[in-house]
Amino acid sequence: MRGLPLEGIRVVDFCWIGAGSFTTKIFADMGADVIKIESSTRLDSLRRAAPYKDGKPGINRSGYFADRNTSKRGVTVNMKHPRALDLIKKLIIRSDIIANNFTPGVMERFGIGYAEVRAIKPDIIYLSMSMQGSEGPERDYRGTGGSIGALTGLQYLSGLPGRVPAGTGTNYPDHIPNPCHAAFALLAALRYRRRTGKGQYIDFAQTEPMVALIGPTILDFTVNGRSQERNGNQHPYAAPHGVYPCTGLDCWIALAVINDLQWNALVEVIGAPKWTAEVRWKNTATRHRDSVELDYLLGHETAKWNARTLMKALQARGVSAGMVQNAEDLIMHDPQLAHRGHWIKLTHPEMGETIYNAPPYRCSRTPAELRSSAPLLGEHTREICIDLLGLSEAEVDELIDQEVLK
Amino acid sequence: MADSSFVVNGPTVRPAALAGIRVLDISGPIGNYCGKLFADMGADVILIEPPTGTQLRFEPPFLDDTVGLERSLSYAYHNTSKRGITLDLGVGAGQDIFRRLVTTADIVLETEKPEVMQHRELDYEALARLNPRIVLTSITPFGQTGPYAEFEAEDLIGLALGGLLYMGGYLDSAPTRVHGNQAYLGASMFGAVATMLAALEAECSGVGQHIDVSMQECVSIALENAAQTYDLEGTVRKRPNPEQRYAGYGVFECKDGYIYLGARGIGRSKAWDRSLSWYADEGMVGVERLYGPEWSQITYLKSEEARHVFGELFMPWAKARTKAYLYHEGQRRKIPLAPVNCPADLLANPQLKFREHFVSVKHVLRDQPLLMPGAPYKLSETPWHIQRPAPKLGEHNIEVYREIGVGLAELSALISDGVV
Repeated sequence: MRGLPLEGIRVVDFCWIGAGSFTTKIFADMGADVIKIESSTRLDSLRRAAPYKDGKPGINRSGYFADRNTSKRGVTVNMKHPRALDLIKKLIIRSDIIANNFTPGVMERFGIGYAEVRAIKPDIIYLSMSMQGSEGPERDYRGTGGSIGALTGLQYLSGLPGRVPAGTGTNYPDHIPNPCHAAFALLAALRYRRRTGKGQYIDFAQTEPMVALIGPTILDFTVNGRSQERNGNQHPYAAPHGVYPCTGLDCWIALAVINDLQWNALVEVIGAPKWTAEVRWKNTATRHRDSVELDYLLGHETAKWNARTLMKALQARGVSAGMVQNAEDLIMHDPQLAHRGHWIKLTHPEMGETIYNAPPYRCSRTPAELRSSAPLLGEHTREICIDLLGLSEAEVDELIDQEVLK
Repeated sequence: MADSSFVVNGPTVRPAALAGIRVLDISGPIGNYCGKLFADMGADVILIEPPTGTQLRFEPPFLDDTVGLERSLSYAYHNTSKRGITLDLGVGAGQDIFRRLVTTADIVLETEKPEVMQHRELDYEALARLNPRIVLTSITPFGQTGPYAEFEAEDLIGLALGGLLYMGGYLDSAPTRVHGNQAYLGASMFGAVATMLAALEAECSGVGQHIDVSMQECVSIALENAAQTYDLEGTVRKRPNPEQRYAGYGVFECKDGYIYLGARGIGRSKAWDRSLSWYADEGMVGVERLYGPEWSQITYLKSEEARHVFGELFMPWAKARTKAYLYHEGQRRKIPLAPVNCPADLLANPQLKFREHFVSVKHVLRDQPLLMPGAPYKLSETPWHIQRPAPKLGEHNIEVYREIGVGLAELSALISDGVV
């Protein structure tokens, strides 16, 4: 007994690609037995997404896939084979949660829509996390995290005014908003089931958590009539607030000077250049009013500094400052992430020792554990069929032979 | 406790998944959304503010752009469904009252600098002595210990040190941040997941624990494949060209705004064939230049030439069409294309309308209710539900203090001492 919070909970995981797989990973790292259903007839496209170990493509070599699928077991089932359904149903009745992030209708075509599943497992918790939800005129529309960022305003609102919307440069909704909201909803449903014995259906539209995360911006429109625009790194009332150049190629420091106290400290740290003596730089309101000019002047000062040195000097004086870190900085040079043991190395049969994110929280008594690297395609097919579903070796061989377990 | 009359057109009251969980929320902007997630699912979340008001009350946007204790829309949004009391945790008398509250609670959410709770003698060990099943969640910029633990960090700094800031923006200028305090919100979201895990466990074991959440670590989860790209291939992923990350993938101008073309819409995909038919059907001049086999090679798509050719053909074609047309026609043809919506577009979005996503919540200073984002998930048995508007400053003082046996006389004394 490890005593992890989700020990004893089993998840039938039809999720693939980004947001879904990360949701169930949260469960797996907290002790749930997450069984990832895959098929070589239709690969999780993340298995074919860079980066690969040594840059060499292979279905068991993607670092992106690996990071999203730790602590899970993997089974290959060709859901289009007529004999797959019985097998999956056997698995479902031994499980607590079934999760998918297909477009609506796919699970129904497999014969495991909510109605069918509830009929064989009445207390199942059934999570469907499609892009736009199970109902509605655009329920069949397709896309990825980037599309969700575009649809929900995040793309439009991020970047410089007058230029193409920059967004985050990533599929942001896949990485935090949707996995966290889906995991929270599942945990709430799990609590309800523990108390009442009742399962339920969770209709999760991946656009909606992202909209929920820009609530104040929506209210500014519905209440004040203001449809917000991109504003770079500007703060609504404080300045300087932005990203400033430092020595080195593409090296920057982020500064968020919220009050006059921090401004005075910053001026001292940068050696009180003459221009700072001007009276309009001495209070927040006029600094904010003239922030374009301020950014220009300040940028000439920061450009003389190494980003890390300046960050430390400013933080020592209580100024909110942080170097703009890239992946190398985070992994190789960040003492705080090192202190927290954020980067974890796991050994994978094909990739060897590679790097993974730890869950970003430390639980004092039941720490999350990355128990294993991501499963190889079909790695646990035999083990699950025999130990969990009670099939014999011969039966498994036959199912493999018939291309059911494929 | 729940009163649906506060919410206009709210769903009828159904069982709440988190009924019976009490959360003491003493958090600031980095943690208020965490408390909201619990409150909107039915927990009894008590927002405990200093007598001068919690920090979010002073953050824009404001109702009619006018600053005021009850006018922040950020506050109104992030504190729905909570009850609110005032209490000065900086003084001994306030700390004593807080200890009494802790004996009735399951979860404490706090966002103070490390060691503040210890100075108040309200750290995990102290709280666990009062109530062994308590879960204390500390959401801070960098976590409870370590070389950066005392650093100051606004949202922008969390994005910078967490690595997401570097990935956004334009090649020719400084990185630009994601909109809307997403570093704070990331910390709140992961904080909510970890807290819920611990609370569920505590309901079984009878023992709580301390959850230590770092905003920096939370942001680092959003780096997509950047960490692994460095680890496995030795390259540092940079901010992409937002216009065309590679040929056919990125944001393009259209007649009335912008559209987003997904990576799966080009190259070795069925959507690419469908796109070519579409362009041909609608008379794109020179479409045959896209027919060659090189358009299925990722190395070619990444080349300047491919970007240039695609742009030359697609951009004028897209410029003659609206984002709504391109979205619906593209999706009809099963091409992953999305409009780049602005806030005004969201309110008119037929899908969100169909799902009744936006909800109306009453506000004390306004006749019209506030229209705000609603359920982030639809649970069939225990629906998301706003129990009440965000509390006015001290709105539930009498009610909550009575529940822990603080009578009116004691409360008056606390008020005159400035503790409440």
